[in-house]
Amino acid sequence: MITLSLKEEPPVPLEAEALSPDVVATLRYDEICALPMFLGKRQCRVDDHFVVEGEASDELEIRGDAGRVKWIGRGMTRGRLRIVGNAGMHLGAYMKGGTIEVTGSAGDWAGAEMSGGLIRIGGNAGGQIGAAYRGSRTGMTDGTILIEGSAGLEVGMRMKRGTIAIKGSVKDFAGLEMKGGTLIVGGAELRTGAWMTRGTIVSLTRIPLLPTFAYSGTCNPTFLRLYARQLGTCGFSVPCDASAGAYLLYTGDTAVSDKGEILAWQPHAS
Amino acid sequence: MGGKVTCTLGEVKNRADLIIYWGGNPADCHPLHFSRYTLNAKGKHVPQGRKGRTMVLVDVRETPSVRFSDIFLQVRPGKDFEVVTTLRALLKNRPVDEARVAETGLTLEQLQNLVDRMKNARFGVLFFGMGLTMTRGKHMNSAAVLTLVAELNAFTKFVSMPMRGHGNVTGADVVMRWTTGFPFGVNLSRGYPRFNPGEFSTIDVLVRGDNDAALILGADPGATMPQPAIDHLARIPTIVLDPKLTHTSRLARVHITTATTGISAPGTAYRMDEIPLPLKPILKSPYPTDEEVIRRIYEKVKVKPAWSPAAYAKVPCA
Amino acid sequence: MLRISGGRVYDPANGIQGEVKDICIADGRIVNDVQGAAVRTIPASGMVVFPGGVDVHTHVAGAALNFARGMTPENHRAAAKFIHSPLLRAGTGGITPTTFATGYLYAGMGYTTVNEAAVPILSARHTHEELRDTPIVDKSSCVLMANNEILLDLFEEGETERARDVLAWLIWAAKGYGVKAVNPGGVAAWKWGKDAKVLSDPVHGYGKVTPAIIIAQLAAIVDHLRLPHPLHIHCNNLGVPGNVSTTLETMRVLEGHRAHMAHLQFHAYGGDDWTTLRSEAAAVAEYFNAHPNLTADAGAILFGNSVTITADGPWQHLLYQLTGRKWGNLDVENETGCGIVPYVYKGSNVVNAVQWAVGLELLLLIDDPWRIFLTTDHPNGACFWRYPEVIHLLMDASFRRECLRKLPSRALKRIVLPDVDREYTLSEIATITSAGPARALGMPRKGHLGPGADADVTIYNESPDRGLMFRHPRYVLKGGEVVVEEGDIRKVVDGRELIVRPAYDENIEEYLRPLFEQYYTVAFENYPVEQERLEGADIRELG
Repeated sequence: MITLSLKEEPPVPLEAEALSPDVVATLRYDEICALPMFLGKRQCRVDDHFVVEGEASDELEIRGDAGRVKWIGRGMTRGRLRIVGNAGMHLGAYMKGGTIEVTGSAGDWAGAEMSGGLIRIGGNAGGQIGAAYRGSRTGMTDGTILIEGSAGLEVGMRMKRGTIAIKGSVKDFAGLEMKGGTLIVGGAELRTGAWMTRGTIVSLTRIPLLPTFAYSGTCNPTFLRLYARQLGTCGFSVPCDASAGAYLLYTGDTAVSDKGEILAWQPHAS
Repeated sequence: MGGKVTCTLGEVKNRADLIIYWGGNPADCHPLHFSRYTLNAKGKHVPQGRKGRTMVLVDVRETPSVRFSDIFLQVRPGKDFEVVTTLRALLKNRPVDEARVAETGLTLEQLQNLVDRMKNARFGVLFFGMGLTMTRGKHMNSAAVLTLVAELNAFTKFVSMPMRGHGNVTGADVVMRWTTGFPFGVNLSRGYPRFNPGEFSTIDVLVRGDNDAALILGADPGATMPQPAIDHLARIPTIVLDPKLTHTSRLARVHITTATTGISAPGTAYRMDEIPLPLKPILKSPYPTDEEVIRRIYEKVKVKPAWSPAAYAKVPCA
Repeated sequence: MLRISGGRVYDPANGIQGEVKDICIADGRIVNDVQGAAVRTIPASGMVVFPGGVDVHTHVAGAALNFARGMTPENHRAAAKFIHSPLLRAGTGGITPTTFATGYLYAGMGYTTVNEAAVPILSARHTHEELRDTPIVDKSSCVLMANNEILLDLFEEGETERARDVLAWLIWAAKGYGVKAVNPGGVAAWKWGKDAKVLSDPVHGYGKVTPAIIIAQLAAIVDHLRLPHPLHIHCNNLGVPGNVSTTLETMRVLEGHRAHMAHLQFHAYGGDDWTTLRSEAAAVAEYFNAHPNLTADAGAILFGNSVTITADGPWQHLLYQLTGRKWGNLDVENETGCGIVPYVYKGSNVVNAVQWAVGLELLLLIDDPWRIFLTTDHPNGACFWRYPEVIHLLMDASFRRECLRKLPSRALKRIVLPDVDREYTLSEIATITSAGPARALGMPRKGHLGPGADADVTIYNESPDRGLMFRHPRYVLKGGEVVVEEGDIRKVVDGRELIVRPAYDENIEEYLRPLFEQYYTVAFENYPVEQERLEGADIRELG
C-alpha cells in the first residue's frame, strides 16, 4: 500500500489527478514522488506536498485534510483509494471502477460523470454529486455513491443509471433533469426532481414538490426491497415494510415527461 | 435542454406585440429601454407604438414599472422557477397540481391566461432581470425562462433576453468567448482555459479563498459581493484599475487611476443584445487607458521566467 | 530571401503539375530567382510543394460562431488544448475553436487564406475584432444580404438602381469582400416564424418579392459592381428531403450570372421525407457540369460531433425539434438571423450516411476541379481541421469502398458513390484546396506560385497515406515566413484582411439615414465599421 500524508493544507487549490491507483500501481517509489501536481498555476511534485511511504500497489491511502486537493481518483478504473480526512472537489470524477472511501467530507462534483465503481463518503458532500458537468447531456451512467451526511445542490443532475444514497438531507434541485437511475435521500429542500424525464427519487421523509408532479397513490414497490437489502449491508436503512408505512408516489416532471417517479415515505400513524 | 432564442433590440422594436418583463424594474433601472426599444417605440410592424403592444410584468413586489404594464403578476419571492416550470407544462396541456401552483402566489387561471397570451402573440419577447437570475435557483431560473421561450416557438415567434447589469459586462462575456471559448468563470492556471461556474466564478473563488492575488478591472466587488468575498480581497494583494476611487479601491493595496472608457478612452462596448458599439472619446485624460496599464504590466510580467515548465517544454524559443 | 529547392511543385494555375522546380521568395512574394548569401534554402527534394490552402466557405468568427462557443462548454472540455507559451496564446481547438487556435489550426494544416462566409452588417464590427485575433491566415468575409429588409423593400418597389447603391454602401459599411445570400426571403419570413420554401411564391410580408427575384437581383448587382467574388448563395430548403428541385431552380434563375453555390451537399437530396431521403448528386452534377457560370463548394459531412451554425433560422428550429437538443437563435434586426444546434452525424444513421456520400459524390461527379472546392461548411458538416480525411477519401477509391462497407445497407441503395471509381490526383487536390477557391474568390495573389503571388506555400512529405500527408505539412510559409515546421508553429504573423470598396453614389446615405432612424436601434454614424479599426487591411477599390 502507498500512503501519502499531506504535509500542510495547501494555500491555494492543489490539482492532483495523478493521485489514483491506476497511476501509482506500477510506479517505483521515486517515480511516485516525482508525479506532477499543480499548486495554483505552478507545477510541483507529489513529495513537495506529501510524505510518501510504502510500496507500489493499487491501494492508495491519503492522510490529512485534503479539502483543497482536487481531482483525486479522477477516471480511476481499479484498486482502492482511501482518504483519511477530507477530499476536495471532483473526487472520483469520470471514475470507471474501484473503490473510493473518504472518512471525512468531500467537495462538489464527487463522482461527476462516473460510469462505475463505488464512492463512500463518511461525512458531508458538496453539490453536483454524480452530476453532469456544465453543458454535458449525461451525468453518472453507472456505479454507486453512498454519503453518510448531507449534500448540496443539484445532486444526481442528469444521471442516467446507477445509485446515489444520502442519509442526510440535500439542498435544491436533487435529481435535476434526471434520466434514469435511483437517488435515495433522507430529505430534500426545494425543486426535487425538477425536469426529470425518467428514474426514481426516494425520500425517507415528506418533501416539498413542484406543481408539475402528480400524486398517483401509495405503494411499496418490490424493487425497493432489493435496494433496501443491498444498502442494508452498507449500513443504510431504507424502509420498505408495508406494515410500517407506505410510499406516496408522484410522477412527473409534467413539464417534460410523466415517467419520472418521486417516492416519499410516510409511516402509518401509530 | 439549453441554448437561447433571442434577437437584437430592433427586432423587438419593429415586431413585438407581447412584452414580458420578469424580475426587473426597467422603469427605474433601464430608463431608456421603453422609449428606445420596446414599449413606446414605433416599429416597422408596430406603427402605433404603445397601443400595439401588451406589457406583462412579473415581479415579487410593486415597483414603478407596474404603472407601465397592462398586466402585473405578483409572484411570491423564490417561486419563479415553480411558476416557469408550471408554464412549460401548461404550454403542452399537461396536468399541474392546483394547490401547489397557488403556493407561488399566482392562480392556475392567471398562469393559463398568460400561456394563452404567449401562444397567441404574433411576436413575443421575455426580458428577465436580476430578480430572476440572482434569487434562489439562480442559473436554473434563467434556464427555465430560456427553455420556456424556446418551446413557445412551436406555437409562435418568441424570444428572450437577459437585462444585464451595469458596465460592459456583455463585452467581457463576448471577448472571453472568442479568446477562451467560455463566457465567464474561466481558469487559466493550467495554461489553457477551463470553465466551471461555482468553482471558478469570482464570488466562489473569493469566498473559498482560492486565490492569493486579485486584479480588478471595470467592477466594484467591494460594493456588491458578499462579506466573506470582500474580506478575502482585503487579505490578499488586490490591485484596482478604475477612473475613480471605489469601495474596492479602499481595501486594495494598489489603485491605478485610468481614463474613463467612452469619455476619454476609445474602445468597443457590447450592448445587452451583443451589438458592438464604438466608443468615441470626447475628452483627453491625464490618466492612461486600462489597455495601456494592462499592456505595461504585461510587458513586465513577460520577462519573468515561465511558470509552468512542462507547458513550455514542447515549444522552442522563438 | 528564400529558396525552396528541389520539391515537386503543383501549381495548377500556372500549368505546373509535379515538376521538380525551385520556388524563390523575396519580400513576401514569389519571384523568379533569388541570389546571394542571404538566401535561406529549404531543401524540399522528395517533398510536394503546393500553394497555401484557401478556404472559400467557413465560419470562424462573429456573433453566430461566438454564440455557439458559449453554448457548448462540453465540446471545449473534450477539445485539443492550446497551452499558453511565449509564442502561442491559450485556447481550445475542437468544433468551434477559439480565434487564436483557429489561426494555428488552419496554418498547421497548410491553409493560409480563409473566407468567413456569413457576416451581418450590424455586428460586422464584432466579426472584424475576432478576425484581428485570428493570427497567420489572411481573411475575407461575405456580407449577408438576401434578407436585408431595406434591399427587399427596394426590390418590392422595383428600385434596382438604388438597391445597387445601397448594396455597395453596405459592403463598404461592413468592410466586407463579397455578398452572401442565405435562404433568400426565408430568414425574413422567419422573423414571423415562417419560411420561404417555394422560389416563385412571394416572401411572407411582401406582395411581389419572391426568393427568385431576390436571387436574380443580387446576382445581377454583384456582376454589375464587378465584385471579385460572385454571389455566394446558400439555397432555400437547406437539408430538406427533396430539395434538389429548389437547388436546380435556383441555378436556373442564376443563368447568365456568375454565382457560387455554397455547401452544395446540403442541397442535393431527393425523396419525400426523412425515410425516403436519397442522393440527387448526379442530377445536380449533370446540370452544374453544363453551366460554367457556376462554382460550388462541397460542404461535405464527416461522421462525428458537429455544431450546426447558419443564418437559416427556420431550418435550425426544425433541427432543434428533430434532435431535442440545445437551440440557439439570434435574429438580427432588418438584416438576417442565425441558428445554432449541436448535432452528431452517425455512420449508422441512414440519413447521415446518405449525406456523407452526397458530399463525396459531388466532388467526384463534378468533373472540373476548378469549379468545385473542398469545404465541410465548418463547423456544420465537420471541423475544417478534418479536411485531410476528405482528401484521403477523394484520392483513394479502395479506402472509400472500405468506408462504404460500414454504412447501413439501406443507405447504399440511395447513393451512387459505390459506382464511382474516380481518384483525385495531387494536381486536382491543389486545385480544389487552393487554386480553384482563390480564382473563385477573385484573389489574384492567392492560390498559385507564379511571380507576384503572395509567398503562401505548403510543403508536404510525400506519403502514400494521404490523410497523414495532408494532416501534417513539413513546412508552411505565410507571406514568405516559415510559420510551421514539422507540425509545430514556429512563428506567428498577423494575417491581413481583404476588403472590397465598390463604387456607389455618396447621396445614398441621405436615403438610408431616415430609414435607419426609423427601423434600427443604433445611430447611423455608428453603423459602418471604421476603416481605422482594420490595421494593415488590403483594400481593393472598384471603379
